[in-house]
Amino acid sequence: MLDGRLKEYLTGFAEVVVAIVAGMLIGGLVMVIGGYNPVDAYYQLFVPSLTTGYGLEMTLSFATPIILTALTFAVGVRAGLFNIGAEGQMYMGALGAVIFGAITLPSILYLPLEFIVAAVLGMIWGVIAGILKAYRGVNEVVSTIMLNWIAYWIVESMRVYVIPNPVDASKTVSVPPAGRLPLLVEGTELSAAIIISILVLIFTYFLLWKTAIGYEIRAVGYNPLASRYAGINVRRVALYSFIIGGFTAGIAGFCEVAGRPPSYAITTGLSNLMGLGFDGLTVSLIGYNHPIGILLASIFIGAMKAGSRNMQIYARVPLEMVQTVQGLIIIALSIPGLLRIISRRIGGVR
Amino acid sequence: MKVYPDGTVALRGVDFHLRKGEIHGLLGENGAGKTTLMKILAGVLKPTRGVIEVNGRRVVFTSPSDALKLGIGMVAQYPALVPVFTASENIFLGLSRRMVSRERLVKLMNETGLKVELDAVAESLPMGVRQKIEVLKMLYRGVRVLILDEPTTNLTPVETEELFATLKKLRDQGVSIVFISHKLKEVLSITDRITVLRRGVVAGVVETSRTNPEELAKLMVGREVLFEIKKKPVKPGGEVLAVEDLWVRGDSGEWAVRGVSLAVRKGEIFGVAGVEGNGQKELVEAVTGLRRVEKGRVVFLGRDVTNRGPQELYKLGLSHIPEDRVAMGLIVNMSIIENAILGLHWSREFVNSFGVFKNKRIVEHALKLVKEYEIVAGNLNSPARSLSGGNQQRLVLARELSKNPSLIVAANPTRGLDVASTEYIRRKLVDLRDQGKAILLVSADLDEILELSDRIAVMYEGRFMGVLDSKEADVRLIGLMMGGYTLEQARGMRGVENA
Amino acid sequence: MNWSMIWQLFVQTLDASTPLLLAATGEIIGESAGIANIGLEGIMLISAFTAVYADSAFASPLLGVLAGLATGLLLGVVHGYISAYMKGNQIITGTGVNLFAAGFVAYSIIAFFHVAGYYTIDLSLTVPKIYGVSPIAISSLVIAVLAYYLLFKTQIGLAIRACGENPEAADSVGVRVELVQTLTSSIAGLLTGLAGAFLSIDWNASITKQMSAGRGFIALATVNFANWNPLLGIAGSFLFGFFWVLGEWIKSIGWLKQLIPVDLFNTIPYLATLVVVAGLIGRSRPPKYVGVPYKRE
Repeated sequence: MLDGRLKEYLTGFAEVVVAIVAGMLIGGLVMVIGGYNPVDAYYQLFVPSLTTGYGLEMTLSFATPIILTALTFAVGVRAGLFNIGAEGQMYMGALGAVIFGAITLPSILYLPLEFIVAAVLGMIWGVIAGILKAYRGVNEVVSTIMLNWIAYWIVESMRVYVIPNPVDASKTVSVPPAGRLPLLVEGTELSAAIIISILVLIFTYFLLWKTAIGYEIRAVGYNPLASRYAGINVRRVALYSFIIGGFTAGIAGFCEVAGRPPSYAITTGLSNLMGLGFDGLTVSLIGYNHPIGILLASIFIGAMKAGSRNMQIYARVPLEMVQTVQGLIIIALSIPGLLRIISRRIGGVR
Repeated sequence: MKVYPDGTVALRGVDFHLRKGEIHGLLGENGAGKTTLMKILAGVLKPTRGVIEVNGRRVVFTSPSDALKLGIGMVAQYPALVPVFTASENIFLGLSRRMVSRERLVKLMNETGLKVELDAVAESLPMGVRQKIEVLKMLYRGVRVLILDEPTTNLTPVETEELFATLKKLRDQGVSIVFISHKLKEVLSITDRITVLRRGVVAGVVETSRTNPEELAKLMVGREVLFEIKKKPVKPGGEVLAVEDLWVRGDSGEWAVRGVSLAVRKGEIFGVAGVEGNGQKELVEAVTGLRRVEKGRVVFLGRDVTNRGPQELYKLGLSHIPEDRVAMGLIVNMSIIENAILGLHWSREFVNSFGVFKNKRIVEHALKLVKEYEIVAGNLNSPARSLSGGNQQRLVLARELSKNPSLIVAANPTRGLDVASTEYIRRKLVDLRDQGKAILLVSADLDEILELSDRIAVMYEGRFMGVLDSKEADVRLIGLMMGGYTLEQARGMRGVENA
Repeated sequence: MNWSMIWQLFVQTLDASTPLLLAATGEIIGESAGIANIGLEGIMLISAFTAVYADSAFASPLLGVLAGLATGLLLGVVHGYISAYMKGNQIITGTGVNLFAAGFVAYSIIAFFHVAGYYTIDLSLTVPKIYGVSPIAISSLVIAVLAYYLLFKTQIGLAIRACGENPEAADSVGVRVELVQTLTSSIAGLLTGLAGAFLSIDWNASITKQMSAGRGFIALATVNFANWNPLLGIAGSFLFGFFWVLGEWIKSIGWLKQLIPVDLFNTIPYLATLVVVAGLIGRSRPPKYVGVPYKRE
């Protein structure tokens, strides 16, 4: 039996590798059409960020928030939901943290309060979609995207009108030094946020597989009817899933504000946050929505993000290429055999 | 017409010949391969080996429509209609515009006596009518070979008689009909020839006029398996469940249960018979807290539990063996161990005060159930889907009984199971009754009801046609009630018959 | 308020509703046959880009529109093929297309126009108007009516809807389910491509990396609102389109601007969509097999 399970893992791993290769090949084609050298680009994208010490540290720093947003999506899928609202929940979390840049407090209070308010705002943003789903039957794909846009404009207007940075118009106030997570390696962007991120990952794993609430989430994801017959309140489970997801996404926003130098703030057009939620979606899909898979996949995507600056500078390829390749990998993954395992879970969202 | 299909598992080297203008019975137990054989003939499945010949010509079907083009059509047990389409839309589906003619259809209806309301939406029609639509759909396309898979399962006795008359008429018009069934009586009354299948091989081909039920039963079963369950005389105790004037809506908002009252006492099995779809499912769901009660009361152990939700009822001592173990009873993608605590997963025996599982206790519990109920399972960490149907049902039963219930609600508990598991589960239910448990048994299997119940209610269109003692009950009486006669009317009719 | 203002409001609403209606009509056809595409957003965005690209390369709005159509068609075929023949997970394919589009368009604006994020075309290169009304906007209405006729009044429509309601029944009478699904998905892509072209070279005369701005998802909400009926889709897209106009209109009110941060008004169309969809409970009934790949036994 262990052999059977090992085989299943290996097949899954092989499928992901196939999808990644396919996505990168087509991505390479896109670069050729754009007049760039894909070999050069891929070299710059992966080699420095995975082989040098500094590169690895940056890779981990980029993996930090997307581990958390990946968990948002993964907990959703486990409950049979397609929660793509990590983006907006993460914006709200970041807002919750950055607000303390405008408030004077005893310094010991900054970090815990940032954390709590970020988590709460993330959870609120998640539970709105949860309530709409559970009690009004609103498809979570539509509602979470709407909520992402609403969050975007709320945070953007707060940035401009409520908490603008007095010296730098391109960002919000920064959280004070007492409200920042310590750097693990000076001169990099790797802060203690990675520790928080991994602790949340372990917590989520424990929750899903070792507790009755996690049991209910997985049961509903596999078979809502049988769950109902077993006395499980399916609506409440949907809410749990959105709340847990909102929590992890909110923490992701906290980590970006409190844990990433140099700005410790939110920048114009939310540019330092934008896309982190959807990166998490990619990570979760590549990692088969499993915490261990998510950890590995986050390093892969983190490396791409860390390497994208190199790629832009040395291979002159616009760093948006990274997201293009991610999309292609997901399309390749959607083909079954490749995506056997999660397909079983999310047959139809309606 | 000649067929030599050869599937590796379901069928092994089966020959089947169908003549023009005959009604050919295909008889066999559940799992004998009847449906598989016919699905191959209708192009739904592909044979692993073997050939099909139509009018002496060898053919290969890649889809049902290939078979349809050659005039072979199959009506499945549950008609494959598009639920939101009207009858005529269903019949005309897939035809080109010039093939669509309402007049031709009306003419066909008159010729065959298959009359349906053409503008009625399929999902609002009873099963019998849907079957007619399906047959019309086939005939409109000029089908000359009609395969009917267990067509009477969902029909009342009256509808069955109508169907038989139609089939005879069609046969006289030259249509060849394959009639798949496991019901000896029906096969004997309607067919011209019978092929009996047993475990994927042909056990015999006989002329209907030259055979008898005993011979067929022997061919079909191959050995004496008809078990008899010995029951001690009923000693009912106090009332465990009382349902008073219950009104419940179905999925599309119609009244599915219309004023049902019943009482189940300690130490008795209360059976609810009826053709499927007459409100039994909704009744069960309402009693077990899964469906809203609109009017009336459910009283369990003297407490009013109307609309209290399943969790609370389970805690009070209700166990539910649902009608579909794969869809409702188990989460087949989760492990056997995890399934062993489904519904018990908040029990303090298995979680601590933080809601964290006590792993050792859970594994012990699963091992205990597997041992006690003789569940054949490889690794308890493997998903429940790896179990056979019989073992899955044992797991459900084991889990539900481990709740030490005072009331067991069982819906079609042996459907689709092999003989050994059926016997095991029926015996278990009787044991429980003898131990003083109250059992509400809802089943579409008349034999099961008659064999196990102490009192029997027959449900028809959401109402009880009457409640009778099992001593009085027989197939004929219950059959009449299933067709919509009240107990008094049915008694009267039987009286006339006997006189 | 006078007639010209009402007319103007109508034209603005028509413009705002056109991309929603086109994508929703396509999606209604696709979902009726059982294929859901949540990648409408991405298809719209990529088509908006290719339309601008072809338009400026050949100085021809017609070629721009054709490029948008072709792009949508291609993505619709890919989605349909993966969903129908390869039995892929439709939601994930669509998500992949959305992610790809966001990256690809941002990348391409830099790679091909050498500007970051925003590229405008000359007004002379936009699709010419007829009496101040876009011909694409008018065709969107015609297409919705034709789609209604196709789905509910023809034998082809019967076959399409059967694929979404009971593919097995359709298959058993010779309807080629996979082919029908791939074709309807292609139509959904084609119409969404037209929506994209309308956004960039007709309505806005520009391309930005966030041009679709959630419209693909509002189109999905419109499908729900319309209960899979293209005629009701017209009403739905006008309703949702109106909220877009309303947001812009409120932003232009001076005294309100002083009171409330103007960016907050950008949330109006999304909020309104949420509220409307939340009010629809139990009113709509999706095709039974939408999103579920059909596998013959």
